Amino acid sequence: MKPYEIIGHTADIGIRASGRTIKELFENAARGMFAVIFGENKDGHEAESRDPAAITSRKIEIKKEIFRYEDLLVFWLSELLYVFDQESIVFKDFRILELTNSGISAETSTSRIDLSRDVMRREIKAVTFSDLNIEESEHGFTCKVIFDV
Amino acid sequence: MYKLEKIDSFRWRIPRSYKSGMRVPGLMYASEPLIQEIINDKAPEQVANVAFLPGIVGYSLAMPDIHWGYGFAIGGVAATDPENGGVVSPGGVGYDINCGVRLMRSDLELGDVKPRLENLVNALFNSVPSGVGSGGDIKVSEKEEKEIFVKGAGWAVKKGYGVNEDLDHTEDHGSMEGADPDKISGRAYKRGNDQSGTLGSGNHFLEIQTVDALYDEKIARDMGLFEGQVTVMIHSGSRGLGYQICDDYVKGMARCLAKYGIDVPDRQLACAPVNSQEGREYLSAMRCAANYAWNNRQCLTHLTREVFEKIFNKSWAGLGLRLVYDVAHNIAKMERHAVNGIEKMLCVHRKGATRAFPGQPVIIPGDMGRYSYVLSGLDGAMKETFGSACHGAGRRLSRSGAIQKCKGRNIDRELFEKSGIIIRAKTRSTLAEEAPEAYKDASEVVDVVDGAGLSKKVARMRPLGVIKG
Repeated sequence: MKPYEIIGHTADIGIRASGRTIKELFENAARGMFAVIFGENKDGHEAESRDPAAITSRKIEIKKEIFRYEDLLVFWLSELLYVFDQESIVFKDFRILELTNSGISAETSTSRIDLSRDVMRREIKAVTFSDLNIEESEHGFTCKVIFDV
Repeated sequence: MYKLEKIDSFRWRIPRSYKSGMRVPGLMYASEPLIQEIINDKAPEQVANVAFLPGIVGYSLAMPDIHWGYGFAIGGVAATDPENGGVVSPGGVGYDINCGVRLMRSDLELGDVKPRLENLVNALFNSVPSGVGSGGDIKVSEKEEKEIFVKGAGWAVKKGYGVNEDLDHTEDHGSMEGADPDKISGRAYKRGNDQSGTLGSGNHFLEIQTVDALYDEKIARDMGLFEGQVTVMIHSGSRGLGYQICDDYVKGMARCLAKYGIDVPDRQLACAPVNSQEGREYLSAMRCAANYAWNNRQCLTHLTREVFEKIFNKSWAGLGLRLVYDVAHNIAKMERHAVNGIEKMLCVHRKGATRAFPGQPVIIPGDMGRYSYVLSGLDGAMKETFGSACHGAGRRLSRSGAIQKCKGRNIDRELFEKSGIIIRAKTRSTLAEEAPEAYKDASEVVDVVDGAGLSKKVARMRPLGVIKG
C-alpha cells in the first residue's frame, strides 16, 4: 500500500492514504495533504529557508472530545492547514504521540518557507467530511479525504 | 444507472424512489448532451442526498452547470421551510461564502483598449494582489474588521473605495442584515484581517472583456451595455475568513445531527434547524463573511479603477467604469417565496447558483478562453427555482484530469496565439487546471437556463486579458 496517493474529483481534489496503525494513517494523510498543496513528490522544501537554525520543532495539540476517527482526522488535518496558512511554514515530519477520544498530541519539525517563490501548486480551502471514511483491514487502515480547493 | 425521468427538453426528475430517505424528488435542468455528461459524474447522487434535508420544499434543484462537489453538488439549490423543521447547512453554502462575480461596464471600445492591452493587464496583475494566501495592502484593525462584517461593501464606500451607486448595483446593496461578529472565532478574525482587496487563487479571476453579441438590445441598453464595448469581470469571495467560518460550523453541526435526530447520507451535509441556536448562530456568522466578500469585491473594483485611470489618464467616472451588477453564488438567504400558492419565508441555499429575480442582471462567467454571459432574471425562476439560475460554465474535467490533458502544453501561449488573449497567473499549475477544455461550454449552459425560462440571455462577452491567482 502506498502511504498516500492523490485522487481526482471534478470540482476538488482528494487523497487516499494508508497506514499500518491509525497513527500512521493520520501521519500519511497529513503528508498527502501537503502533496496536494505542493505537488506530488514535492513538499515545499524547495522554498525552505537555507538557514538550518530556521528548523524548529512544533507541537500540535488538539484537545476535544471526538468519538469518531473520521471526525478526528478532519480536525487533525484542518489544524495543520491552519498553522501552515497562518505561519508560512512547512512540516518536515509528523509524529503522533497520542491519539484518543480526547484529542491528538503530535510533534512535528517545521521550517519557514518563502511563499513569494511560487512553490505552491494550489490552495486548499478546507478539509471536507464528504465521502470520508476510514476502513480497517488485515493490513491496517485506509482513508479517503476530499479537500475543497 | 440513474432512474432519471425526462420531463421535457430542459428538465429531468430524480424520483423519490431513487433512494430511500429522499423527502422530495430531485429536479435537474439540462439539455440532452449536458445530461449525458452529468450522469457520468457523481453530482446526481448528491442532488438525491440533498433531498434528505429536513424541511426541504419542492425539489432538490440542480442547475445545468452542476458538477460533483462535496455534500451539495456545485450548481445546487435547496430551500427549506423553518416552520416545518427546515434546516440550514453550512455545506450547502460552501467554504467560500459569498463567492460571487461582478461586472463593470465602460465607455471604452475594443479599439481604445487593444493598443494598451498588455500594459493594462500587466498593471492590473501588479496592482491587484492575487495568488495562494495573498494578503493585500488594505489592512484593518479588529474594530474595522467588525465594521466590514456588518456594513459589507458600505465600509469600502465610506473609505472612498467606491460610490453609493456601486451599492445600488450590488445584491442586497452589498450587505446582509443580521450579521453578528460575536459569532465568529478568533481564527476567522485572524484569517480575514489582511485579505480585503485580494483576488485569491484557483478559479478566481479578474478579466478584461469585450461585448461581442447582444441578444436583447433593450435590456442591454438599460444595463449600460453595447456591442464592441470593454467590460471588466471580477470573480472572488470571502477568502480565508469564509473558509474558517464554514469549517468551524460544519464541525460544530456534525454534532447537531445526533442532537436533532437528523439523518443525512453524507456528513458534509451536517445541518441544524434554522430556528435552533446553532442554525441562527451559523446564519449570523455566514452573513459576516458574505458582507466581507462584498467588501472585498468592492475593494478589488477600486484597485481596478485606479489602474484604468493610470493607463487611460482619465478619471474612472470619465471612463464610464460603472458597476452593472454584483451577484453572490455561494450563499443561504431568508427569502419569501410562494409554496403551493402560499407565501412563505424560506431558507434558500445557493451553492454554485445565482439569484435570478425578475429583471435582475444574472452574471455568468465562462472559461478563460471562450465567453461569459449576462442574463436577466425571469418570472419562471420565481415559480420554479426560488429565484435562482446557473452560476458559470461548470467543470467537466477534474483538476488532475485537466493537468494530464494539458501536459507539455503552454496554455497561456496557446490562448494568445489562437485568440490574442493575454493571461497573467501567479501559479503556473492554475493555468492547466483552468484550461478552457476543463469546463463545459458556457453557451450550452445558458441556453438551458434561457430555454427553461429561468433567465433571458442579454449579452455575451469574450475575454481580452485575464489575471489569475
